[in-house]
Amino acid sequence: MTTGTVISKIATRSGYHIFSYFEYPSLIRGGNNTVEVVFSDDEITASKWKVNMLVCLNKETFDLHKHRLSKDSIVMYDPDSFEPDIECKKVPLPLKKIKEKQEIHQQMLNTVSVGASIAMLGGDVGIFEDILKHQFARKGQEVVDFNIKLARVGFDQIKADNVTPLNILSKKSETPEKLVLTGNDAFSIGTAGADCKYYAAYPMTPSSSILMSLAAWQDKTQMVVRHSEDEIAVINSALGASFAGARSSVGTSGGGFALMVEALSYAGVAEIPIVVFLGMRPGPATGMPTWTEQGDLLFATQAGHGEFPKIVLAPGDVSEMIELTLTAFDLADFYQLPVIVVSDKFLCESYKDVLKEVIEKKLKNYTPNRGKIVAKTNQSPYLRYKYEEDGVSEMLIPGQKGAFYQANSYEHIEDTHTTEESEPRKKQVEKRNKKWDTYLNKLKVKSEKLEVGGNVFFEGPKIYGDPNADTVFVSWGGTKGIVLEAQKMLASEHNKNIAFLHFTHMYPFDEELVKSHFNDHTRYILVENNSHAQFGQLLRMQTGIDIKEKLLKYDGRPFFPEEIVKYIIGEKGEPMEQKQQTAVNNLENNKNTKPNLPDQKEREEEMLKKLSARMMSA
Amino acid sequence: MTIQNTPIGFDAYTPTWCPGCGDWAIRIGIKTAFQQLGLDPSSIFMTFDIGCSGNMNDFFNAYAMHTLHGRAIATAVGMKIANHVLTTIVIGGDGGLYGEGGNHFLHACRGNHDITVIVHDNMVYGLTKGQVAPTASKGYKSTSTPSGIVEQSVNPLALAITQGATFVAQGFAGDTPGLIEIIKAAVKHKGFSLVNVLQPCVTFNKVNTYHYYLQHTYKLEKNYDPTNFQSALGKSVEILQEKFPLGIIYQTQKKAFHEELPQLSEPLILKKRFTDIDLLLNEFI
Repeated sequence: MTTGTVISKIATRSGYHIFSYFEYPSLIRGGNNTVEVVFSDDEITASKWKVNMLVCLNKETFDLHKHRLSKDSIVMYDPDSFEPDIECKKVPLPLKKIKEKQEIHQQMLNTVSVGASIAMLGGDVGIFEDILKHQFARKGQEVVDFNIKLARVGFDQIKADNVTPLNILSKKSETPEKLVLTGNDAFSIGTAGADCKYYAAYPMTPSSSILMSLAAWQDKTQMVVRHSEDEIAVINSALGASFAGARSSVGTSGGGFALMVEALSYAGVAEIPIVVFLGMRPGPATGMPTWTEQGDLLFATQAGHGEFPKIVLAPGDVSEMIELTLTAFDLADFYQLPVIVVSDKFLCESYKDVLKEVIEKKLKNYTPNRGKIVAKTNQSPYLRYKYEEDGVSEMLIPGQKGAFYQANSYEHIEDTHTTEESEPRKKQVEKRNKKWDTYLNKLKVKSEKLEVGGNVFFEGPKIYGDPNADTVFVSWGGTKGIVLEAQKMLASEHNKNIAFLHFTHMYPFDEELVKSHFNDHTRYILVENNSHAQFGQLLRMQTGIDIKEKLLKYDGRPFFPEEIVKYIIGEKGEPMEQKQQTAVNNLENNKNTKPNLPDQKEREEEMLKKLSARMMSA
Repeated sequence: MTIQNTPIGFDAYTPTWCPGCGDWAIRIGIKTAFQQLGLDPSSIFMTFDIGCSGNMNDFFNAYAMHTLHGRAIATAVGMKIANHVLTTIVIGGDGGLYGEGGNHFLHACRGNHDITVIVHDNMVYGLTKGQVAPTASKGYKSTSTPSGIVEQSVNPLALAITQGATFVAQGFAGDTPGLIEIIKAAVKHKGFSLVNVLQPCVTFNKVNTYHYYLQHTYKLEKNYDPTNFQSALGKSVEILQEKFPLGIIYQTQKKAFHEELPQLSEPLILKKRFTDIDLLLNEFI
């Protein structure tokens, strides 16, 4: 368990909400690793720009974060290593001396610092001790005792120094059981809960922890979890397992997904259900492996040669990840096609708390909907690719005596044999395309299968905030929590009423339904963690809606809510994003936004001022 | 094309292969072996690669996948894991299984997956009109290598033996009775079985003809011991002297992949759904 997880769990067990984000370089060990933990009485969904307490294990940590400190910030540091050179609340923690005295490895100073942090925050060190007991139980009492002793050393050091603790982590009287989950944890739980029986992957950041979790759970879940030789084997073996009747899934990042694309096309024509998890990181090629970006949306939606239906989902947080993972397996089976669940490193690896009861209920109430996948057919002869009104034919799980068929990668006729004839080709294309019509609920197909499990149709964007607001953020997937925090800050600190339109069902679109969320007298701001405004392009391609105003960030870092706030209110002074050398960009001049907006002139001036300030300092 | 009206036999469409192609004999060999083993189309998984051999998908009835080029082994591995009760057969050519899908071949040997891989080895790409295949001898001239191929040939037998395959055999399309016996033994063997079938391409390969193989193949002696790793390796490298032994070259007993996994004590698809979700959630509190 990492330090970040431990602190997060201490906070949730004390009754608080948390959000934690990790940054680390692509190295096995060393480099500057940071974990940012925010805890709050209310739900929190993103990191904060301002750092209230910085615990430095070395000087580099201080240097990298000092521009985010204020004079009220607490800085815990080792006086034998450095002295903070800015005005702040200094709390010395003699790590070097402790290390020598206790004769411990550098790594163990994490435990000491957590102990010290708990003391500083006024938290309950007993919770930390419980966590350590559980974590090291298998290694024996001696190891448990030693770790508890180290936690105590840190805790007592702060107490002895008579530093006034903050009392912001004191245990609340009501502490409902909460889970601390990453997006990857949520996908893993959803996959196990959805009765997935075969999961294959080749390790690739940021999706690897799914492979590790599911592999560790095999004894319990009885799933077969396989680390195959390459991503091509990963997906093709999963298609084999799926054909044989097992719910199957694979996970990867952009590069691995690229290798899987040919097989995606096979799943399309042969109509084999498959759930693909795509955890995005900045590309192209190897890119920045441990950082974040929403750079593969267009790739995911357009992946695969030839024309075939697929469905792309992009959950916005861990709860939606569980929900949409369950949905993804149902959609894959119901429509017998590939479903891609798109996440990004930010969602994959940041922690959020959720009520255990809620997740438990969600999973316990779930019943897999396998649609027309059957163990026995009454057809004779059996027609695997029979033309059907809804585009979906009966899929027989192999084994029934007297029947046989093939999942054919060539174009085929109803009984699965290969064809190059004009008419059957046309009809099979149309049959496959009808799956999209059904998904978009254009056919209004009636079926008893629809009564099982969750929704199997397209869902439009969710609107957060006042639907009549004159300004609306538009975003998708993992940026959800950040925009929600920005929206809250704008309302409470700046009295700005801004709505937020968030998409999770990414592809295909119900054009009319999506259009109904837009009008020509509202200011729309597209917020995306990429440079090509990919969702903007997708939206335009599928609906004709063109959002001109774009807030994009593509330096590998997630947005900070404060960056979005500053973009809106145009705060004077040096823009924050320049300090931390990010690439938040408003690519379009504001002149291009929708006409006849009442305060357009004001905003234009504001924007121009901002732009010129940026150009001056460049 | 005509459909032969035998719904539960193995025969489907009439093959479209060139007259004299070795594929005809291999298909008869496979079909006869299956019949003699008491198999039927509903009790077998087959994957077909892409190429002339893979086109058998329409000529042979089974629960089958006509996969992507090079991926027939990877796909079959997944089928077998999901339902190991069904006999699983891979049909493909030297290009698909040793070239495009060479990585899967290597790793399926390592895993000792209980599948039988029947490779139609004719040293050329027939379906795309005669380009060189990875098993062709160094210097072989083809439409894609007009000056002769620079690379030396892949040695599938030695590769399989050294990478963990537990059954390695070689047959010849000109010897159907011999091939039937080899395929039967391969299917009965529990673990990864390779049957490399030497097969003249009568249209594009003017070097490795029936006549060539009649001169360069020989049947393993009656007293040959296939369980001896060293002698098997020795046999597998005779190809360097243009000698092709026919028969079971290597056979050993090891647990198959699915036998190593406790959760596969019964077929995966018959496993009850996992619902004890608390077992997983508690580690996140």
